[in-house]
Amino acid sequence: MNKTININLSGIVFHLDEQAYEAFKTYLSQVKQALSGQEGGTEIIADIEARIAELFSQRLESFKRSVVITSDIFFIIDTLGRPEEFKDDVEPEHTDPETPKTQRRFFRNSEEQFIGGVASGIGAYFGIETVWIRIIFLVLLFFTGIGLITYIILWAAIPEAKTTAQKLQMKGEPVNLSNIEKSVKEELDGVKDRFSKFRDDNKGSAGKINSAAHRFFSFILNIIEGIARFIFKFLSIILIIIASFIGFFVFVGLLGMVGSSWNINITGFDFISYGGHILGLNGAEAILGSGLLLNLIRIGTLLTLLFPIFGLIVLLAKSFKRPIPNAKRLTLVGGISFIIGLILIIYSGITVASSFDVKATEMETIALKGHQFDLQADLLEDSDPFLFEIDDDKLRIENVKLNVKKSFDSIVTLVIKHQAYGKNNSDARNRAQRFDYPIDQTGSILSLNEYFTVPKDALYRGQELKATLYLPVGSIIFLDPSVENLIDNVENIYDMADREMIGHTWEMRNTGLTCLDCQDVQKYYNEDEVSEAEDAIEKVNEELKESENNIEQEIERLEQKLRSLKYK
Amino acid sequence: MNIENTKAQMRKGILEYCILGILSSGDSYTSDIIEELKKAKLIVVEGTLYPLLTRLKNAGLLKYRWEESNSGPPRKYYSLSENGLSFQRDLKQTWEGLSEAVNHLTTPK
Repeated sequence: MNKTININLSGIVFHLDEQAYEAFKTYLSQVKQALSGQEGGTEIIADIEARIAELFSQRLESFKRSVVITSDIFFIIDTLGRPEEFKDDVEPEHTDPETPKTQRRFFRNSEEQFIGGVASGIGAYFGIETVWIRIIFLVLLFFTGIGLITYIILWAAIPEAKTTAQKLQMKGEPVNLSNIEKSVKEELDGVKDRFSKFRDDNKGSAGKINSAAHRFFSFILNIIEGIARFIFKFLSIILIIIASFIGFFVFVGLLGMVGSSWNINITGFDFISYGGHILGLNGAEAILGSGLLLNLIRIGTLLTLLFPIFGLIVLLAKSFKRPIPNAKRLTLVGGISFIIGLILIIYSGITVASSFDVKATEMETIALKGHQFDLQADLLEDSDPFLFEIDDDKLRIENVKLNVKKSFDSIVTLVIKHQAYGKNNSDARNRAQRFDYPIDQTGSILSLNEYFTVPKDALYRGQELKATLYLPVGSIIFLDPSVENLIDNVENIYDMADREMIGHTWEMRNTGLTCLDCQDVQKYYNEDEVSEAEDAIEKVNEELKESENNIEQEIERLEQKLRSLKYK
Repeated sequence: MNIENTKAQMRKGILEYCILGILSSGDSYTSDIIEELKKAKLIVVEGTLYPLLTRLKNAGLLKYRWEESNSGPPRKYYSLSENGLSFQRDLKQTWEGLSEAVNHLTTPK
């Protein structure tokens, strides 16, 4: 048995069942709303009602029914159109281009929640992608901590969107029939999915649901689950942040490798490629050579870069709501090329590293004339801070260390050690022999270069040049200020630092190098050591005083004892 | 620029002329007008038409009379007024000029 409701349309009575009545009422009121404010609105509505009455009569007659049911209402809607289609907006300047504005309301969006649905609620309210709101929260959290407090307050203050109407208001969509229908349909699909999942999960465990103990237990479980979810999410946020930092540095590093392997100089990004230099290296060419390895690194770094670039493109496109149709394939291609690139880079890295396996040293002794020297350095004009640089077909390496020591015979000799690495003994030895280091002695002036050169194809393999000047006792040497960066821990009788030794004349004596023209040698003593010594002296003095006191006391005691013995 | 909006604007402008055109060949009941427009694929639903007819009637271009119906309430039969007739002729000229111009401009030579 079904209840029917009677309505009067254009003077004709119709019987509608309850469902049909509800639907028809909503429809008609929305049509009226759409037409309200329009000229001749009442007349139009009367016309429409008359038309509906006619259509109802026709349908009842042809279907041999006396009651109007829901399908008739749907037929009406299909024939006459949805409420918004009734609008006669021939004069667009008078009508708002947007659909009727509905007051948006603040709700938490529990459908797209990460923690409490605050960010997605704000996103829905302002019509912004939720991810930006989340980023703002995270930035606030990490720089000021305000993010967390704000989040918790908002979490507590903003109600959750529970009903369909609230969910529509949250997004600022008008609460009308078509929107509710759409949204309910979406929700129903979701419920169906969840229900079938629930059924699959709970096969055989039905029946217990209603027991009080079970309810209490599930309440506790809910709370624990909530806390665990919060912690898990928090940890994963931190992990994501750490990962993105690492990713950023890897990205910049890769850019640097691309820059230095192709010798690209990007204006404004000098810090990345630095005109082909990176990390004090002049071009990867000096290490990798110009053959296979260089090309492997070039291809490898470019392939590796595709992944983050593709990822960035896909992300940006997504956040501007213009998703790329082949985003998945793009990411897949990027991912595969990333792995291939990584393999190439690692292979090249291992190959290079293995060529640093064995160290070899070649020695060369040069006899010098005279016993008085003016030691100078031939400095490079451009004082860039890089360890090595390619100069036409040569590799210029600035890694020269000079020491001055006492000779045990009467001859002045300069001993030069060439050190180099190689993948095996003969490779290293071969490389160590291919040093070019001219030495110039004119009169007493002994001039040394601050760099040495090797053939370009020898590549940089940790080459180092150690020169030691052996001076017999009685020899005199002037250290020109230009040798400041050349000399390395030269021993002298004062323990003076290298930078303080320059600009002075020194004589090699039996005790070691002695300064001939230092005004106040004292000041070159290490100040720390002086204060340390002063502290030690003070300590000794204190101890002395203490024992003095002790002795005085002892004497006094003995004297008293003596006096008491005398009186006896 | 929204293509849907442009399409709707074009269709609406022509719709008035078409209604007047249909009525110029005789009186018509609303659903007959709708039938013809639907056949020409100018409209999809009836709802669009009621406000338009009322507006044209209020502008003095159309007049109507009631007629009894054997199924349902009495029907409104629309016809052109004197004003509507001259308005329709005016529009016809404009339309023919326009359509010639558009054809001339958009058909490849």
